[in-house]
Amino acid sequence: MEHNLTTAEKIHGSIGISAPTIAVIIALGISGMLDPYLAYVASLWVIYGLLGMSLDLVWGRGGVLSLGQTAFYGLGGYFGSVVAINFSELTGNSLIWALPTGAACGALSAAVIGYLIFYARTGPLQTTILTYTFTILLWTLSQSFKITIGEAKIGGDNGMANIPGMILDFGEDATTLEPNAMFATVVVISAVIYFAVRLLMSGPFGRVVDCIRIDGEKTELLGYDIRKYQLQNFMIAGAIAGIAGALFAAWSNYLNPSIFSVQEALMVPIYVLVGGAGTLSGAFIGSVLIGGLSFWLGGGAISGQTTLILGLVLIVLVIFLKNGILGALNSLWLRFLPDRNRAVHSIKPVTIDASVVENILADAEVAAGPPKSLETKNATKAFGGVIPVNDVSLKFEPGIPHSVIGPNGAGKSSFLKVCVGMYPPDSGDVLLGGENVSHSPIFQCVAKGLGVKNQKPQVFGELSIFENLWTAAFSMTRDKNKANQIADQILTMLGMHEQGNVEASALSHGQQQWLDIGMVLCLTPRTILFDEPAAGMTNEETRELSHLVRILAKKTTVLVVEHDMEFVRTLDGMVTVLHQGAFFAKGDIVKLRADDRVLDIYLGRRAHVQSI
Amino acid sequence: MDYFATVLISSLSSASILLIATLGLAVVFGLMGVINLAHGEFIMMGAYSALTATQLGIPFILAIPVAVLVTMVFGALVEIIIIRRLYGRLFDTMLATWGLSLALYQGAVLIFGSVSPGIGMPQINFNVGDYTLAAYPIFMILVAAVMLAGIYALLTRTVYGMKARAAIQVPDMARAIGIDSARTNTLTFAIGCGLAGFAGAILLPIVPATPSMGFAFVIKAFLTVVIAGPVTLAGSALAAIGVGTGASVVASFMTSVAGDLFFFILTVVLLRLYPLGVSAKWRIKL
Repeated sequence: MEHNLTTAEKIHGSIGISAPTIAVIIALGISGMLDPYLAYVASLWVIYGLLGMSLDLVWGRGGVLSLGQTAFYGLGGYFGSVVAINFSELTGNSLIWALPTGAACGALSAAVIGYLIFYARTGPLQTTILTYTFTILLWTLSQSFKITIGEAKIGGDNGMANIPGMILDFGEDATTLEPNAMFATVVVISAVIYFAVRLLMSGPFGRVVDCIRIDGEKTELLGYDIRKYQLQNFMIAGAIAGIAGALFAAWSNYLNPSIFSVQEALMVPIYVLVGGAGTLSGAFIGSVLIGGLSFWLGGGAISGQTTLILGLVLIVLVIFLKNGILGALNSLWLRFLPDRNRAVHSIKPVTIDASVVENILADAEVAAGPPKSLETKNATKAFGGVIPVNDVSLKFEPGIPHSVIGPNGAGKSSFLKVCVGMYPPDSGDVLLGGENVSHSPIFQCVAKGLGVKNQKPQVFGELSIFENLWTAAFSMTRDKNKANQIADQILTMLGMHEQGNVEASALSHGQQQWLDIGMVLCLTPRTILFDEPAAGMTNEETRELSHLVRILAKKTTVLVVEHDMEFVRTLDGMVTVLHQGAFFAKGDIVKLRADDRVLDIYLGRRAHVQSI
Repeated sequence: MDYFATVLISSLSSASILLIATLGLAVVFGLMGVINLAHGEFIMMGAYSALTATQLGIPFILAIPVAVLVTMVFGALVEIIIIRRLYGRLFDTMLATWGLSLALYQGAVLIFGSVSPGIGMPQINFNVGDYTLAAYPIFMILVAAVMLAGIYALLTRTVYGMKARAAIQVPDMARAIGIDSARTNTLTFAIGCGLAGFAGAILLPIVPATPSMGFAFVIKAFLTVVIAGPVTLAGSALAAIGVGTGASVVASFMTSVAGDLFFFILTVVLLRLYPLGVSAKWRIKL
């Protein structure tokens, strides 16, 4: 969906590659001419930038604030150095030992911490606290930790000395790089890592990570195992931090526990905030800027108060400069570009073409198999004394639309959440196509063919309409081209073919409902659950929706939870009434409308309610 | 047997010390949903305030309210200048208070130097069998209990407490019935900081004032709040006494670092079982 982009927009879109490329060329160009001391110091700025980027990956992209990046950095430094001290004499080259070990060590320790955090599904606050305490714990632990491994002596507070510098040559007479060559080496290594990460993060992996940041629940409802993605992202960041640590050790030839200190950790978010969170390259800008500034001012003048000043700087940055330098430049630039969302005003009302939907459904059946029935057996869910789902046994088959109705508090939405796996039932079972999914996590239910649209439209506002649909389609196909095809089909059906590039957040409430429904269809679901899909729609839209639901029900199992009785009437299907969490009545709408007991619970008339 | 009893009593006293150090954090987290990463430095500020007051000739018992007052006023200022701008931005609040934490630490280094004289512990001892225990740390068990009861009374029996609980449960409704939630939050944050100051002051005979003392407290204090979960007051008490006692038993047999490590590992195990804290499904609210 790259069409109708102007040249200016294309330049803007590729700036994340072109600008860093130019920066790397300039850095390499001047690396030979720099004053050796400046080259030595500047190498450290780049290393810090790499460390900052590892945080940006977790925080700016992943949406989880980790204060433990220096822990992985320090562990990578220590272990990388232990291996380098022992083996670099064999080969000459020190980096082939230090960097892989550092990366592995960073990734491994991040894997342990990340597994505990993400697979336990703790909240964001717990994540930050755990990573922070992990860092402080390593700080205190390393102060008394003494061990000798081969030639390497880790001496607690005394640290570890004799770490080989950066050696690139092989053989006996290999020599440590001079500062200027070291600077160039660090720049090249960082550039390789940056471009590799950028490539990864602009592909499907990065898209899913972005979606998790924006709305984790919705991402899981699209069938992605978000824990896995979060853990992988965290491990990649840990590996990068570990490499940065190994580079730092080779740069300084010496490590001590202060690498784990809070003062050290404090710098990392500052770099990210100055450069701009979520940009990946911003951390380098932050570290070079801050490093350059303190070099210019002469570090000695403020050294005693550095922590004091940086602490205050962090407060000011958080309050006043949310998007950093790159963020500010970007919003300035965007003002000179045509409005990306200009096409939103020309979106036509959705009209459902039966033959188009039937084609889509036929394709879906080929790809995903026959429709699946949904059945609950004595499903019960209680919260304290409230029992929103009380011993409900229902079966829904394809053919005609099913609706679940009931007055406020009847347990309709809770019932739906039990079916999806959002509320695992306390007792009883949920069967999808005969398979027990009562305690399957949400993403597995979705992978088995369940498509869910919650009451509130859930779209990824920062992504374009097409990207929203594509992300849903990719979850099932795992194939970029097939996902493109499916997303394109649904996009056309929604009448938004010219608006693929518009951000989802620019859509109206009703349009977001349609986009959300479109995303569910992209999943090629075998069973579809809609929670009040008509809420916020105009009469015309509701009519089209009813049309769509009736077509869908021919080829899939469709269950609609609804408040709007008129909408339920137009569906012309089987209606189930829930009352106080339990099954109450079943039949077609005409029969139920004539049923005095149903009218009683809707109108709150006493006589029958009490006799139940 | 006597040895076991002394280990148990002193471990219970360590757990109480942990609870004393944690309660301020728990109150702010419970009532504002904010984690104050500078909490340890407010303890440090309380300790230095009390120390300075005693050095000026004020008796220790009167130095404690001085410390509470100083930290409360400073806490109120921090809330008005920083925290208020960041409502609803969890990570930013943590980063800003973290920046404050390090600024306060470095500030203390510049003002007081890195080592300060302690004040003597009241020399009252008693015996368990052949072992002698100092009375003051044991007294902390009582202090923790009184603090807990006091905070509970403050939140349930006073107008402020009701407003504060209303403001956290349904903020819009609280505003709609005329509760100035901004002012309530300022007071809540100040009380949390005051509790930290109280902790620093009352623990001064046991934990001498140093600029880095905050970092020593925060590992366990933060983890306690994380274990506790949404029902912060009762949850923190349970977590501090349960895990804290265990950790100090470990620490007394091994090293204090081992105690911290034990605490961390146990937290992780508990989070595996209760991802949002042990109190996530409790029906009481405080």
